[in-house]
Amino acid sequence: MATSSLQTALLRNVKDVVIFLGIFGLLALGMLWVLDQQSYDWQWFRLWRYVYIEHDGQYYAGPLLRGLFTTLEISAYAIVISAIGGFVIAMMRASKLITARAIAKTYIEVVRNIPILVLLFLIYFVLAPVFGLNRFWAGVMTLAIYEAAFAAEIYRSGIEAVPRGQKEAAKSIGLRPLQVMFYVTLPQSLPFILPAMTNLMINLVKHSAIVSVIAIFDLTNEGRNVIAETFMVFEVWFAVAGIYLVVTTILSILASVIENRTKRFYAR
Amino acid sequence: MRFFKDLKAGDYVILAITAAFLGAVWYQLAFQINYNWDWSGIPSFFVYYDEETGYQQNVLLIGFFNLIRIAIYSSILSVILGLGLALMRVSDRRWMNWTARVLVEFVRNIPPLVFLFIFYFFVSDMIFPVLGIRAFAQMLANSDSAVVGFLFGDRVFVENLIAGVICLSLFEAAYVSEIFRAGIESVGKDQREGARSVGVTKYQEMRYIVLPQAFEKTVPPLVGQLITLIKDTSIMSVISIQEFTFAGSEMVVSSGRIFEVWITVAVVYFIICYALSVYSRRLEIGRTGR
Repeated sequence: MATSSLQTALLRNVKDVVIFLGIFGLLALGMLWVLDQQSYDWQWFRLWRYVYIEHDGQYYAGPLLRGLFTTLEISAYAIVISAIGGFVIAMMRASKLITARAIAKTYIEVVRNIPILVLLFLIYFVLAPVFGLNRFWAGVMTLAIYEAAFAAEIYRSGIEAVPRGQKEAAKSIGLRPLQVMFYVTLPQSLPFILPAMTNLMINLVKHSAIVSVIAIFDLTNEGRNVIAETFMVFEVWFAVAGIYLVVTTILSILASVIENRTKRFYAR
Repeated sequence: MRFFKDLKAGDYVILAITAAFLGAVWYQLAFQINYNWDWSGIPSFFVYYDEETGYQQNVLLIGFFNLIRIAIYSSILSVILGLGLALMRVSDRRWMNWTARVLVEFVRNIPPLVFLFIFYFFVSDMIFPVLGIRAFAQMLANSDSAVVGFLFGDRVFVENLIAGVICLSLFEAAYVSEIFRAGIESVGKDQREGARSVGVTKYQEMRYIVLPQAFEKTVPPLVGQLITLIKDTSIMSVISIQEFTFAGSEMVVSSGRIFEVWITVAVVYFIICYALSVYSRRLEIGRTGR
């Protein structure tokens, strides 16, 4: 059913499909022409050994795949920390305590108004020696601190999206403020929070490329290394961009699956 | 004092934790790392006094001016490109819609850093020589006019700056186009149908009915995007464009004042971006308040 409808859709829009493919064909041709003018030497066949290594029938991850694992590892730690940290900050912002609100607001404004690269340098060069963090954790903490500020805003808008009546009703039957938050408000704000949070996670994976600047060997840095070794600039960058695209696409498919599940769960 | 009367027990706990945290940082700095703070040199990293030539701009101020230049050029270019992409997105012709969509999704799904590496190399090493822009940039660099100096800063980096601005604009255009698209789509259908029914052409409908209303709605998010753009200029330091963060790292290397310089750099970015975000918020309040 799906393929046949796709077929009819394609047939109905033959002209558009042809022009669309023509544009990208022309773009690709133009690029190839420009590279040819500079006598760029394409060596796609040499790329594979940097993706995986075969040795005695065994397969090992090459530099690019190892870089991908580092990227995913850093992102995973940063995601967990920023989800928890963002929640704490959101709670502080919603709190009745003046100091809690002030600290949360300052944190959000400061982090949102300086570039992530400068934040990385601040943490790596200034805070890391103070707390004895190594490179890897300086990278993780930068990403976590940066995204936590955005996560906090997501939690806040999710909580605010729950109708006031719900809170008031919960209060009137005698629940304490924390109980109202955890039994009434938060469960209902989940459908608002989840889509934005999964989006944030995808952004975090993309932003993690920045840690290559402090010599963490993530996907981007491994790519730079391979280029320095082989001069296959375009092959390697296209491969790296392709890997990022695959990862973000898989994550966004996962995100839409989660979103649909929660929607179905709440529709029951 | 009234302030202390308003504090509750929880506030004191939080204050105590904050004080303990700051105290720990201070203790580590003062006794474990033995860092010698010296802020006295920082102003001279912006402006220094020369016996013969008087006041001269130093590395950080040059970097700051480059940051402003890049931000202005890129924001103009990215708004033009973004508007083009947005018009393609809302077009009735499907191929336009698809093309714009593929371009936007491609840009939005790879890391800014990787995008910059690919396009900077492609633009500056491949396209510039072929299209003769390199020769043009060199001509500019060799000319002695003050205008070139004002527009591009240091003459040695003219080509570098142009390539960087193009890359950043291509990148930001994808995000700007989404803002414009949302603005255009927010203009009610009745407006467009009304326009059609009085017999204006499609171009006139866009130009006189839809875009004026769309622009009004897009101003606050565009200012927000400008903040992102200013923040994103910092990653251009990675491809050796002499902007503010690059100047910062140069100054760190030459002066060894790691902590002071990075904190100064962060503060300057914060002041620019925070001022803009306050402005953006005021715009938004002005709109809803009406």
